[in-house]
This record gives sequence, structure tokens and C-alpha cells, in this order.
Amino acid sequence: MEYSQSEILQTVAMTEMEHLDVRTVTLGLSLRDCASESMGRTTERVLAKIHRYADRLVETVDAIGDEFGIRIANKRIAITPVSMITESASGDPVELARAIDRAAAEVGVDFIGGYSALVHKGATDSEREFLDSIPEALSTTKRLCSSVNVATTRAGINMDAVRQVGIIIKEAAERTSSEGGLACAKFVCFANSVEDNPFMAGAFHGVGEPEAVINVGVSGPGVVNYAMKRAARDLPLQEVAEIIKKLSFKLSRAGELVGREAARRLGIPFGIIDLSLAPTPVPGDSVANILEAMGFERAGTHGTTAALALLTDAVKKGGAMASGSVGGMSGAFIPVSEDAGMIEAAQLGALSLDKLEAWTSVCSVGIDMVAVPGSTSAETISAIIADEMAIGVMNNKTTAVRIIPVPGRQVGELVEFGGLLGSAPIMAVNAFSSADFIRRGGRIPAPIHSLRN
Amino acid sequence: MANEDLIYRLTKAVYGRLGAATDEQTVEQLVTEVYREIEPFVSQNGSAYSTSQLPSATATATAAAAGEGSADRLIISVFGVDHPGIVAGVAKILAEADCSIVDINQTVVQGKFAMVIIANSARARESAAELKERLRREGEALGVRIYAQREDLFNAMHRI
Repeated sequence: MEYSQSEILQTVAMTEMEHLDVRTVTLGLSLRDCASESMGRTTERVLAKIHRYADRLVETVDAIGDEFGIRIANKRIAITPVSMITESASGDPVELARAIDRAAAEVGVDFIGGYSALVHKGATDSEREFLDSIPEALSTTKRLCSSVNVATTRAGINMDAVRQVGIIIKEAAERTSSEGGLACAKFVCFANSVEDNPFMAGAFHGVGEPEAVINVGVSGPGVVNYAMKRAARDLPLQEVAEIIKKLSFKLSRAGELVGREAARRLGIPFGIIDLSLAPTPVPGDSVANILEAMGFERAGTHGTTAALALLTDAVKKGGAMASGSVGGMSGAFIPVSEDAGMIEAAQLGALSLDKLEAWTSVCSVGIDMVAVPGSTSAETISAIIADEMAIGVMNNKTTAVRIIPVPGRQVGELVEFGGLLGSAPIMAVNAFSSADFIRRGGRIPAPIHSLRN
Repeated sequence: MANEDLIYRLTKAVYGRLGAATDEQTVEQLVTEVYREIEPFVSQNGSAYSTSQLPSATATATAAAAGEGSADRLIISVFGVDHPGIVAGVAKILAEADCSIVDINQTVVQGKFAMVIIANSARARESAAELKERLRREGEALGVRIYAQREDLFNAMHRI
């Protein structure tokens, strides 16, 4: 037989028992040709274009998943940052936001990302107004995701934008207080945001991207978790890295196959594959459990930053060897509310916000799906963001913050978001004020290593 | 470029058949004659000639080794507790769907049944989804789990 029994068994076990899935097939779509002088006209063009490119997306992708026997969990769309296409249009961008949300429902995707602005060095007048519209846009839509890039290694950190984002997050939480501040789960603030990221809430179709593109996000913390549990407890760490690397090679190859097939059938060029270990609330499909299997009582304790560094690096290396089209984030995600192991660790006091921040210096993104008390001030949220942006800027990496100040909730309570977003334990923030620092505004200059030419 | 590659492979095949001690001139003549015979066919198809149509065992083997798995082939894996009729049940569905069995491997270890079938569905009358659904229902009836996945997935994961 062309394949050995163990090879076949491994693939079947991964797809059927260990939660190997293609987390998302994301259609990147440029909307730059939809700009006009009126919001109504822009909206018409945007809707027509979304339908033209995405009407067959879900049905095509589902058929492919069926043939390969791989679950393709989500079908999504990433669009040009909306702030760019509304720049010269008069009218309320929230009108466009609602129309995009309806279009997403009509074509059957679960999220559409790109209600976004790139303001890492400064904002135009129109972008400032756009930022103000985000809380209303997110609280009156279901599938729309928003992101703001406030820092890059080349430009430094736009602290005026950081301050404004703190206010946006507070307002978005207040507007959706009956749902635990759900709107904040659809909003992410970036340093060094990625133009071809297929994952939500941060996906948008970057300005350097083509007309349309198919990007694929593959995930498989379950696969790595089961392999770690099978491995000997005293296996040296370089061999642990080797196991992870080989697995991520296989996961990436499977993902690329699916992505290229989807691109071929839809007649849209293939972009990138992003192999990110993205946990889900399903037991076993947890990044925290992978860390624990490496030899910790609980995720979040001392040493877990080193373990996460090993994990992220091994995943990237396996992916890079598997495909010439690896992009996006590629590494490990650490969304607290979406990872059963992290929820448990946070509830036990093993995992704190400070440790999460440390993790983000070695994992692929940032502080993700963290719930904090509703009483947390906008300035404190901005300060948490500023710290995170600094880690990204100084280390030449993407970092992000997706934080939910849950109205009326206190430390230790658990808030349910449902579905993939899971449930978040409210985590403590530092009680001392950062307000004066945030109120200074201005810009934190780009680091010396931005001068690379 | 492709022609040089072809000549190289012809030479290799001739040496393979006649042994390394063969007279160099004879080999050269033989390869030249064979190449002249197939040249019109090769140029007709440009550089993308089909290796499977060359009359050489090595060429066929090369095609299989360099294969990227086939979208028309399914790998069907069946697991469960052994009892008579499992192979027959699965084979019947494949026969009815006009799928031929390319390879089959079945074992029973301590009462546990495991079977892997590579089936060619190029002429299948049903879509992959329909076939999978029938296999799933048959699996329920037989009390075993049946998975059907495209072969190119296994190739991508286990072959470089």
C-alpha cells in the first residue's frame, strides 16, 4: 500500500478525534473601487461586490471540507479597512457597517472583518470621526469585526489613538452591557497589524493585497496536545520541539491543500496559510493544556513563558518548511475565554494578566479575550494597550489587545459569551492609576531599530 | 530541457535493463533510435509530455513516486469490532457507485477490525458527499466507523 497503516491512522485520528480543523477560509476582498462621494452609493457598490465574490464561498468551501474529511469551521470575509473607502463619502459610516453586516448574513459567513483604521502615526479628520463610530457600529451589528492599528515598529506608538481606543472599548462595552460587553469581543487593537491575517477579530484586507484572495487559517492545538500527552514525561525539550515541528508541518500541508483547492474552485488567487494554534472551548483543544503537558501543574506558572516560546517557534518552523506561502500570524494564540485550560488556570489564580502580557512577548499575538471588571477606567485600558503595543514595537512583532471591561461584573465572576467566544473569568487589573501618563497623548517615537535602511 | 531529461531517463532505463558493462556506443545508438521514434509525440505535446505514456517501467515508477496524490482517489478507513460482512458491505457500496478498489489492507487484532481501502472514484456515479453519506450509513448498520477522505490529503501530510 502507498501509505502505511500508521500514516493513515494518524491522519484519521487527527481529523476525527484530535480536532484538527481548518479554522477559517477567509476571502480577502478589496473594496477600494467602491468609494464614492455618498455613503448610499458606496454602500450599494460594497454590497454588490461582496455578493459577486462571496455568494458561492460557503457552499464551495463546505463541499471541499466534506471531500477531504476535514472540518472547515468558519467561512469569513476580510475587507479593505472601511475608513479608507468612506474617506470622501458624506454620511454616517454606521449605515455602511449595518449594510455590510447584512451582506455577511446573506452570503452565510460568520464574521466579516475590516471595520478598521490604520492610524499608527496619525489619523486624518475622517479617520477620527470613523473611530468615534466604532462603538455604535459594533453594538448594532452581529458579524462585523473591527480593528485599529495604533503602532508599528517603523512609526512608533500613536498614544492619542491609544487613548481614544480605551474610550472606544469602554463605550462599546456599555452599549452592550446586557450581553456582557459582547461588542468588545469583536474589536482588536494592534501593533504591527498583518495585512493577510485570516483570523478574527483582526482580519482586514491590507492595502498591498490583490483584488481578492483566499487565505486559510489552520489550527490544531488538540493534535499537539494529544501528541504531548503521549510523549514521555522526561523527553528532553529539543525533542519536544521536534515533535511539535513535525506535527505543524503536517497540519500546514493539509491546510494548504484545502486552501489551494478552495482558491481554484472559486477562481480567486491563493494567498497564505496561517498555522496558528487557536484553541476552542472544546475539552482538549487547548493551548494551556499543551503547556501543562510539557510539565507544569497549571498554565500561567513560572516557566510557562519559556514553554510558550518553544511552542510558538516550533510551530513556525514546521509551517515554514511545509509551505512557501506561510503568512498571517503563525504561532500560538492565547485567548483566555476560548481556552478551557486557561479559564481554569485563571480561576485558580495560576494565570494573571501580567503573565499573559509576558506570554505575548513570545507568542504570535497578544492579550486576547480577557475580561476585566466593568469598573476599569478607560485610561487603565489604554495603559494595558500601551504596554502591549510597546512589546510589539520593540520586538518587531505583531501584538494585539482584545479586552472586555464587563459592565457591572467583579473579579472572580464568569461571563458567558457563547459559541466560539466561550466564557471569560473576570481577571484583576492593577488598582493604581496610569491616567496622567495616558492623558499626555502624543507619540512614543519609533525605536532605534526602525532605522534599518 | 525536458528532452534532455527524457534522454537521460531513456539511457538510464537501457543501462538498467542491459547492465553497466554494456557497450557505450550500442546504448547511445539505441537511445537515439528510441528517441527518434517518440520525438514527434514529444514535440506535439511541447515540454509537458506524459511520462505514463512512455514505454518504460522506470518512467511509470517515476510518475507514481512523484505523484501528488489524486483528487479522484479516496482513502476509506474502517474501524470497529470484527464480525463477518464488513468487507462485503463496504465493497458492495463501492461497486454500486462504480468505484474500483486500487488497494486494500485488512487486519484483525484482538477482535478489533481495521481496514484501509484506496478506491478510484474517477468514474463514480455519485458525488463524494453522496458516497460518504452512504458509507456513513453502512457503517452505522455494520456497527463500525467508516471515514472517507481524498487521497491527496494523505499525500500532502505524509509525503514531501
